[in-house]
Amino acid sequence: MSDIPVFFLHGLVYAGLLFLISSGLTLVFGMMNVLNLAHAAFYMLGAYFSYSLLNATGNFWLSLIVCPLLLFFIGAAVERFLLRRVHVYGHVQELLITFGVAYIITESVKWIWGNYPLGVNLGGFLSGSVNLFGLFYPIYRLFMFFCAILISLIMATVLYKTRIGIIVRASVDDSEMVNTLGINVPLVFTGVFGFGAALSGFAGVIAGPLLTTYPGMAAEILVDAFVVIVIGGMGSLVGALVASLMIGELQSFGALLFPKLSLALMYMLMAAVLIIKPSGLFGEEQ
Amino acid sequence: MINQRSFAQFLGWGIFVLIVGVVLPLGVRQYQVALLTEIIIFALFAVSYNLLLGYAGLLSFGHAMFFGVGAYTVAIVLNHISGLSFFGAVMISVMVTTVAGFAVGSLLLRHKGVPFALLTLAFNALFYAIATKWHSITGGDDGLSIRLPDINLGFAHLKTGDITVFYYITLLIIGSVILFCWYFTRTAMGQTVLLVRENEERMKFVGYNTNVSRLILFVFTGFLAGLAGSFYTLHYQFTSISAISIDMSTIVVLMVIIGGTGSFIGPILGACVYIYLQDFLSDITDRWPFIMGLIFIFMILYVPRGLSGLIDSFGERLRGRWHLRSSVEMEE
Repeated sequence: MSDIPVFFLHGLVYAGLLFLISSGLTLVFGMMNVLNLAHAAFYMLGAYFSYSLLNATGNFWLSLIVCPLLLFFIGAAVERFLLRRVHVYGHVQELLITFGVAYIITESVKWIWGNYPLGVNLGGFLSGSVNLFGLFYPIYRLFMFFCAILISLIMATVLYKTRIGIIVRASVDDSEMVNTLGINVPLVFTGVFGFGAALSGFAGVIAGPLLTTYPGMAAEILVDAFVVIVIGGMGSLVGALVASLMIGELQSFGALLFPKLSLALMYMLMAAVLIIKPSGLFGEEQ
Repeated sequence: MINQRSFAQFLGWGIFVLIVGVVLPLGVRQYQVALLTEIIIFALFAVSYNLLLGYAGLLSFGHAMFFGVGAYTVAIVLNHISGLSFFGAVMISVMVTTVAGFAVGSLLLRHKGVPFALLTLAFNALFYAIATKWHSITGGDDGLSIRLPDINLGFAHLKTGDITVFYYITLLIIGSVILFCWYFTRTAMGQTVLLVRENEERMKFVGYNTNVSRLILFVFTGFLAGLAGSFYTLHYQFTSISAISIDMSTIVVLMVIIGGTGSFIGPILGACVYIYLQDFLSDITDRWPFIMGLIFIFMILYVPRGLSGLIDSFGERLRGRWHLRSSVEMEE
């Protein structure tokens, strides 16, 4: 059974991708109490920007840096000019505005790049395979996984070892108190929102070549990311990590063992968590 | 809780809408009649959605799951049970939707706010996945076609395939259900839902089980959406994967936000505007969903009360001016 290690690795790769997306989502939720429905749309934009940049320059490393930067500014602008304006009306309006942004991004993508899948051609050494303990495994998937680990480590360092990290974590707990202490919390919100968008865009850049780049990719991963943060507990980074691993492996082995049921497995797990612990595995009781 | 005055108001509106609905299709083209039928169906869908969003304050991004279950059930039972009547199929369909609403509702019972929105989206995705994958029953991406059974009332034989006949059937059934919804918002149950939205703690303190009120409302809106969905299939004599997709949930959100969540009539207005706008814009450009998205953002930012709110404040302004003038006259 040489299948099992391969599927295990596949699961890890997908978990890495899910974590990149859900960590931004859960961080923004924890801080601003806003569920950003446009989060996956940023991921899709990352993939499409990277596609265009690759066609123009052929340099994958460049798009790995430029696209998240672009997404950072788009995300920050959405927070500053749209979200902040409806903040006073409450959560329903905030949800609706991110919903509208997601809708507009999806329609723009269909408009600009067309409503069909695009293939991203990498070339170079990334498209090869590597011999891993007698097992041929595509280099690109390993690269994705290491990217995810690298980004997570950087994020953990920033969050737990720096001053900015302390402010962000404190704002997750009680943003009003942090504001009273003289810290510009609205600026922190804009920054974190933009950072989440950049993370999501980064995930899109690395996911583009492996998963197809098409206008439905946002909705697809959004639901998976939602399931992750429901299982992990909303606002919890550790929960997002654990749940990403669970969903990644579940999807991968589900496809191997019960191909017909693989989609339903994820929802069954979610339903089970909802019944046993409605606030999620690592979530705080409301 | 329904008093004499509001009952008279209710009857008045009902008769007014009925007359408009009966007269409207006379002398217009078949295409327009089909469009009107669609509006009535979507008006019910939007009204059911607004019972959740406007009355209970629950934002759902998965209302199409019930619409889709209704749409598919009608198609499936008509294809598999030979000799099933029109109303039989509709009855089975709404019963199945009610059960689905109860199953999903019991899982969502303890959630509201953001987690509720997120979970409804996830459940919608699950229903969508089932509809795509379960090819032998739902036809997968190909959808299902139906043969519409005629209605035999004994004294009259109604050819449901005729667009105008189908319009009147829809007007009668869906129209009266919409009126019933209006009545529902005035009943003790409907008021309870409103009060739970306003102050849940107090309602609990008074002795209401707020979770049960929410569940009943959720199941009721599911039932209404299922009815709308089954008429959607009957209208097109076809159902496809789009009926149960998140896109369909998106459409109802757009309709209700454009129309306004603050009043009963708002979603109906939203459905009219959306469908006519879609009909108009799709002739001009393929990019009409993009324009809809811009309108949506604009409404959220600048007209949070929607079109009905706009009309209300306009009316208040007129009335205010009138009051002012009459009070000035009084003083003189």
